[in-house]
Amino acid sequence: MKRRLRDVPGAVAMLLPSMLLLAVWTVYPLVKAFINGTKSCDSTGTRCTDVGWQQYSNVWSSREFQDALAVSLKLALMTVPTGLILGVGLAVLADKHLRGIGFFRTVFSSTVATSVAVASLVWVVLLQPEIGVLSDLFSGWIPSLKNPGLLRDPGTALPAVALSSVWANLGFTFIVVTAGLQSIPRDLYESAYVDGASSWRRFTNVTLPMLTPSLLFIVVVLTTRALQAYGEIALLTQGGPNPEKSTTTIPYLIYGENSLIRNNLGLKSAAAVLLFLVSLVFAVVQYRGFEKRVQYAR
Amino acid sequence: MRADVPHGLRRVGRYSLLALVSAVVLFPIWAVLMQAFKSGPDALNHPESLLPTNLTLDTVRAAWTEGELGRALFNSVVVAVVVTICVMLVSLLSAFAFSFLQFPGKGVVFVAFVATMLVPAEVTVVVNRRTVESWGWLNSYQGLIIPSLASTFGMLLLRQMFLQLPKELREAASLDGVGNMRFLWEVAAPLSRPTLGALGLFTFLGTWNAYLWPSQIIKDRDHRTIQIALEGLSGAQINRFNLVTGGLVIASLPIFAMLVVFQRQLVRGLTAGAVKG
Amino acid sequence: MRAARTRRMRLVGGFAAIALLAACSGGDSITDTGATNPPTTAVGPDDSGVSTTLAPTTTVAPDTLPDCPTDALADASGTVSLELWHGMTGALGEQMDALVADYNASQSAVKVELISGSYEETFDNYLQSNQDNRPDLIQLPEYTVQSIIDTESVIPVGKCIDASGFDTAPFLTSALSAYETQGVQWSMPFNVSNPVLFYNKRVFEAAGLDPNTPPTSLEELRAFSEQIVESGAATYGIALESGFDSGGGWYVEQWFAKAQEFYLNGDNGRTNRATQVLYNNDTGVELLTFLQQMIQDGLAANVGDNSGTGFDNLLKLADELQPAAMTIATSASLGPVLEVLGSGQFPGINADDVGVGPMPGPDGAPGALIGGASLWMVDHDDPVRAAAAWDFITFMVSAQSQSTWAAGTGYVPIRSDALDVEPYASTVAADARFAVALEQLESSPDALTSAGPVVGPLREIRSVLATAVAAILDGADVQTTLDEAAQQANNLIADYNARNS
Repeated sequence: MKRRLRDVPGAVAMLLPSMLLLAVWTVYPLVKAFINGTKSCDSTGTRCTDVGWQQYSNVWSSREFQDALAVSLKLALMTVPTGLILGVGLAVLADKHLRGIGFFRTVFSSTVATSVAVASLVWVVLLQPEIGVLSDLFSGWIPSLKNPGLLRDPGTALPAVALSSVWANLGFTFIVVTAGLQSIPRDLYESAYVDGASSWRRFTNVTLPMLTPSLLFIVVVLTTRALQAYGEIALLTQGGPNPEKSTTTIPYLIYGENSLIRNNLGLKSAAAVLLFLVSLVFAVVQYRGFEKRVQYAR
Repeated sequence: MRADVPHGLRRVGRYSLLALVSAVVLFPIWAVLMQAFKSGPDALNHPESLLPTNLTLDTVRAAWTEGELGRALFNSVVVAVVVTICVMLVSLLSAFAFSFLQFPGKGVVFVAFVATMLVPAEVTVVVNRRTVESWGWLNSYQGLIIPSLASTFGMLLLRQMFLQLPKELREAASLDGVGNMRFLWEVAAPLSRPTLGALGLFTFLGTWNAYLWPSQIIKDRDHRTIQIALEGLSGAQINRFNLVTGGLVIASLPIFAMLVVFQRQLVRGLTAGAVKG
Repeated sequence: MRAARTRRMRLVGGFAAIALLAACSGGDSITDTGATNPPTTAVGPDDSGVSTTLAPTTTVAPDTLPDCPTDALADASGTVSLELWHGMTGALGEQMDALVADYNASQSAVKVELISGSYEETFDNYLQSNQDNRPDLIQLPEYTVQSIIDTESVIPVGKCIDASGFDTAPFLTSALSAYETQGVQWSMPFNVSNPVLFYNKRVFEAAGLDPNTPPTSLEELRAFSEQIVESGAATYGIALESGFDSGGGWYVEQWFAKAQEFYLNGDNGRTNRATQVLYNNDTGVELLTFLQQMIQDGLAANVGDNSGTGFDNLLKLADELQPAAMTIATSASLGPVLEVLGSGQFPGINADDVGVGPMPGPDGAPGALIGGASLWMVDHDDPVRAAAAWDFITFMVSAQSQSTWAAGTGYVPIRSDALDVEPYASTVAADARFAVALEQLESSPDALTSAGPVVGPLREIRSVLATAVAAILDGADVQTTLDEAAQQANNLIADYNARNS
C-alpha cells in the first residue's frame, strides 16, 4: 500500500507530457468528432444545428457508406493475408547465414522507405494503360493491361491497388518478421532437430508459434492501413472506375476529390467516427483471436 | 528426403530464389529511377525507357528547382529530427512509468493509452486543424511538430524492453538511493539503446513520409515538407509525365541511404524489444 | 493446429460478420441524410423548370455588400503586403510567379505574396479558415462561385469596377458573365479555358476526309467517325471519357449551353437561387443517347473516368494498337500536347498532325462556357488593403498581362485586344490552332444560357452526373439513369441550401 502511493508523484510527472499531448491532439478531437457527427453545418463548418445521433445510423445505412465499407473490407482481405504470407516467406528465406545476405535483406526492406505517395506514384508510372511501363511491356500476354487497363477495369482496379499496397508494405512486414525470427532462441530449433522434426514441422511447431506476437502486430497494422487507405486511391484510381466506384474506400468517400460530403462537416465527422468504430472492432476481434496463441507461445 | 539434396545445390537454389524475388521487388524502383534520369519524351518510349541509355540529369534538376525541393528537404529534416528526439524522450518517460512504477489505476490508464493508437487521423484532422489555427500555428514548425508527438507506439516498444530488464537492477539501485530519473538516464535508457534506435528510425520514417497533416496546415513555401512539394510536381502536364519521378528520387534518396546504413540496427532494436509479446 | 484453425475461423468470422451487417442495410444516399427532408418532387423530362416553383430565394441587395474604396491606396503608409492563394502548380505556377514578380517590380506601393496548392485544397482551406486567416485575394474555379458568395466574406469586384470607372469593354462577355449572378459581378475572370476538339489530321486524310474541316455538329461527328472506322484509318472515331471535370460533368454543361438550354432552374441559378437540375430533360436524354450509341456502334472508345493522369483520352490518339482519331479536351492542354508529340515518339501522330476545332455540339451551334478560374477580393474591413488588391487585379487583367499569360500557359486571354499585343500576337500568328478556343468563346450567343450553371454543390453535382454518364456509356438506360442522378442532385441542392441560408 505504502509503496503504491510512494510512486504516484513520479508517475504523474513522467506521464504528464504524453497525457497532455494525447488529451489535446487525440482525445479532445475524438470527442469533438463524435459531437460534430450529430450536427448539420454550413460549408465553413461554423454555423451548425443539432440533428441528433440519428445521423450516425443514417450514414451507416446509406448505400454509399455500405459500398465503401465493402470496398475497404475487400481491400483488407486482399492485402492483409498476402502481405503477411509474403513477409513471413521472405523473412524465412533471408533468415540464413549466407554470404551476401545483408544485401538481400536491404533489398527486401527497401520499400519501408517509400511513403504512400511515393509508392502510388511508382505504380502509376508502371500501370497507366497508354504509356505505363508494364502496360507496354506485357500487353502481348495480358491484353487487359492496355485495354481497358488494370486500374480502369472494375474487376481488376481494386486488386491493382492492393498490389501497390502489398509492395509498399513489404519492407515493413519483412523487418518486423525478421526481428521476430531473430528473437527465437536457437536451442528450440536444435531440440526439434534432435527430435527428428522435418524442416516444415520445425516451421509450424517452433517458428510460427514463436512469431505470433509479431504476426499479431502486423495483422493489426496492415488491417488499419487497409481500412484507412486514402493516398493510394487518390493517386491511382480516384475511387473509380465509375459507375461501380470499385475503389472508393471509406476515407476516399469522405475526403476524395469527388466526395459528396467534403464540405459537410456533420456527415464527414459521422462517417469518420464510424470508420474508427469499425477499426476498433477489428482490432479487438484480431487481438482476441490471437490471444490464445500468444499464451501458448509462452 | 530434403536432406539428401546436396548442400551446394540447395545453396544455389536459395540464391536463385533470393535473386528472383529481389528482382521483382526492385523492378518498380528501377523503372522509376530510369524514368527520372530520362528526358520527358524518352521516358515514354518503352521498353527502351528501362535501359540505362540516354541518361540525363535534366528531369531531376527540373524537379529540384521547380519543386523548390532544397527548402522542402531542409524543412523535412528539421521537423523529422525534432519529432524523433521528442518522441524518444516522451516515450522513455511514459514507458518508464508503466514498467517500473506502481500507481492506482495503472491498468486502466495503460489500456486508455493503447486505445488512442486506434484513432485514425481521418477523425482527428479536422478538429486539430482548428486548434492549430486558433493558436496561430498554421504555416509553422510548431504546427508540424507538436501534434505529431501524440503517439503511444514508442511507449509500447520501450515498455517491452524495460519489462525484460532484471527486477534486481531496479531494486539494487533503489537501495543505493538512486532516483527514478537517474535510473532511467544512467541504466534503463543506455540498456535499451537498440530499441531506442529502432523507435527513432521508425519515427523519422513516419514523420518524413507524413502527408495528410502537413497538407492541412501548411500553405506557404517556407514551411512545405518534401511530401507536399512532391504533390506540386505531380500536377505536371502530359509533356512532363516523368517530372514527378525526379522528385520521387530526391525525396527517397536520403531515406534509402539511411535504411542501408541502419538496417541491421533496426532489426536488432526490434528483436530486443519483442522477445516476448 | 486446432488453435491455429480457431484463430483463422475467428478472423474470417470477424470479416464475415461485418460484411453481413453491411449487406443487410443500405438504400438511401448518404446525402439524403442531411438536416432537412428535401422535396421529393420528381422532375419530369419535359419540365422546362425555368422560374416555376422556386423555393424562397435570397435576392442579393447590392447596398448590403461591402464597398470598394479604390482610391484608398493613397492613404497607405509604406508598402502594402497582400497574400494571394492560387491553384496554379507546376509549369503554370512558374508563369504565375513570373507575372506576379512583374507586378511587384512595376510599382512599390503593393507587394503580393503567393501561396499555392491545388484548386481543391485552396478552396477547402478558404472555407475552413477564420476570416482573419483568409488571404486578401484568392483564385478559384468557376464551380465554387455560389459557395464563396454564401460565405459572405468577399468584396464583389463589380463594386470596384463601378467605383473606379474601370473599362471592361474589351472583355469577353462570357468570361465576365460567368462570374456574375443577380446583377452582381462577384469576381474577375483571370485564366480562361474551354473544351475544344483535338483530332489527328493524318487519320482524317487516310479516311478520305478533309484534314482541315473538323466536324462541328454531333451528326457530323457521327458521320466522320463512321467513315474513319469503316475505312480502317483508326480503330475509333472519338475517345470519350466520363471524368467529372470533363466528359462526365463539365462537357454536359457545355452541350446544354450550346443548345441554349438551362442546366438549372432559376435561369441556371443566375436570377434566382437554383433548386433543381434540368439535365434529365429531352436535351440531356438526346445528348447522352447519342454518346451511348456511338460507343455501342463501335464508333467511340470509352477510356473511363480519366483518373490517374487526367489525359487518358488524349493519349488514346497516340495509342499504337487501338487509336482514336478525335477527342475533346481543354484548350489549356494544347501547348503540352504539341510539345510531347513534337519529340516524334509516337509513330501514329506528330505535332503537325494535330488538328484543333471547336467542340462539336447539337446542330453545330457555336460557343462555349468558360472554365478556368477568377480572382476574388476578400473583405478584411480595410480600405487600403482592398484598394491594393484591386490595383493588383487591374494589372493581372491588363491586355499586356493577359497576352503574356496566354502565351506562356495556353489559357485563353479574357479580352480580345490581347490578340494585338505581343507575345500572344506572335503565338497565334505562328499557329492558328491557339486561336480556336478564343474564337469559340467570342462566338458564344449573348444569352443567359451562355453563362453556365451556378449552384452551391456544383462540384458534387458533377460528381453525381459523372457516375451516371459512366453507367450510360456502359449501356444503362438513359432516362432512368439521368432521373436518378437528377433526384440525387436535387437532394444535394436542397441540403446545401438548407445548411447555407
